[in-house]
Amino acid sequence: MPIITVNGKSVHIQELNKEATETIVLVHGMFSNLSVYYFNIAPLLATKYHVVLYDLKSHGMSEKALEGYDLESMTNDLFALMEVLNLQKVHLGGYSFGGLIALKMAIRFPERINKLAIIEAPDPNDDKTRGIIDEYSREFLEHYVENFTDTTKVKMGKRQMERNHRMYEYLFYQTSIKTDMELEKDFFGSPAIETIKQSTLLLYGTDSNCLNAGKHLDGMIKNASLIAVRGDHNIPIQQPLVIAEALLNFFQEI
Amino acid sequence: MDTITTKLSSEEIFNLMKQFITEVIGEEFVEEMDITPESSFTKDLEMDSIEIVSFSEKIKAHFGEQIDFTGWLSSMDLDQLINLNLGMIISYIEECQS
Repeated sequence: MPIITVNGKSVHIQELNKEATETIVLVHGMFSNLSVYYFNIAPLLATKYHVVLYDLKSHGMSEKALEGYDLESMTNDLFALMEVLNLQKVHLGGYSFGGLIALKMAIRFPERINKLAIIEAPDPNDDKTRGIIDEYSREFLEHYVENFTDTTKVKMGKRQMERNHRMYEYLFYQTSIKTDMELEKDFFGSPAIETIKQSTLLLYGTDSNCLNAGKHLDGMIKNASLIAVRGDHNIPIQQPLVIAEALLNFFQEI
Repeated sequence: MDTITTKLSSEEIFNLMKQFITEVIGEEFVEEMDITPESSFTKDLEMDSIEIVSFSEKIKAHFGEQIDFTGWLSSMDLDQLINLNLGMIISYIEECQS
């Protein structure tokens, strides 16, 4: 399992097609891991590009961390990862919370980011987004999983439920994630978003609670185009090939 | 990378898969399971996606260029991935060896 050290912490990465000249880095969402890309999306992109996936801190198989879940810290981590892997300029994609990290990267390090793909990034000020963090409980997880399984058909077994419960409890009650996210609530209202110059693809689900966030970004980012894909917030799981093809077409456009 | 080139029988592949599963999810969980070629990864073995990534990496490390395991998985839709069982992987590896 490829584990590298970034900023003194162990980070699980996966790389496909290292021989390609251009690189795409993909960032997963909160409470998820790199597997959201590993099975369908990354292999298709890797037919043309070097693809780098990594697990965020305390997620997947990366090392746990008590602090540093604000977008500044998360982008410091990604910048450091790029330094370790010697990636000077990359195409960047992010899903959900990973989409917020990708947007922040484009704002802070524009010279290191080529094209930008944002999938279902939520508005951090949205009540539903913050509500998840405020109201976590075992019942919430079971309810969440129940809804999640309705749209992705993946049923969690008892051992998986326990594993997830432990991860959620750790993130919610031991780390700074709640306060760090609270600090980001004005991110979409920030004029910094309007400074993003990269060609930007926005992919959102037609039935997603986040679709309005996509429309908002479409209005703020000058070179953005919004594509609505049939599905909800889980479109990378529901429509992996549609997402992969949209990303590949976008990154290949001249 | 401990890449092998000798051809394995289906029983040897099955035992190797069981070894990888044990390494990924831990002996204490495997002891409670009756792993057979019909065992599905998500339903019977209760492996989550990041554990299946680890399992895939072990297969890739072991067989190397002999098989394109990720490529094979990427051709599957969600239903097929959910219903993936050990027997299907054994058949795929046997095909690649022949």
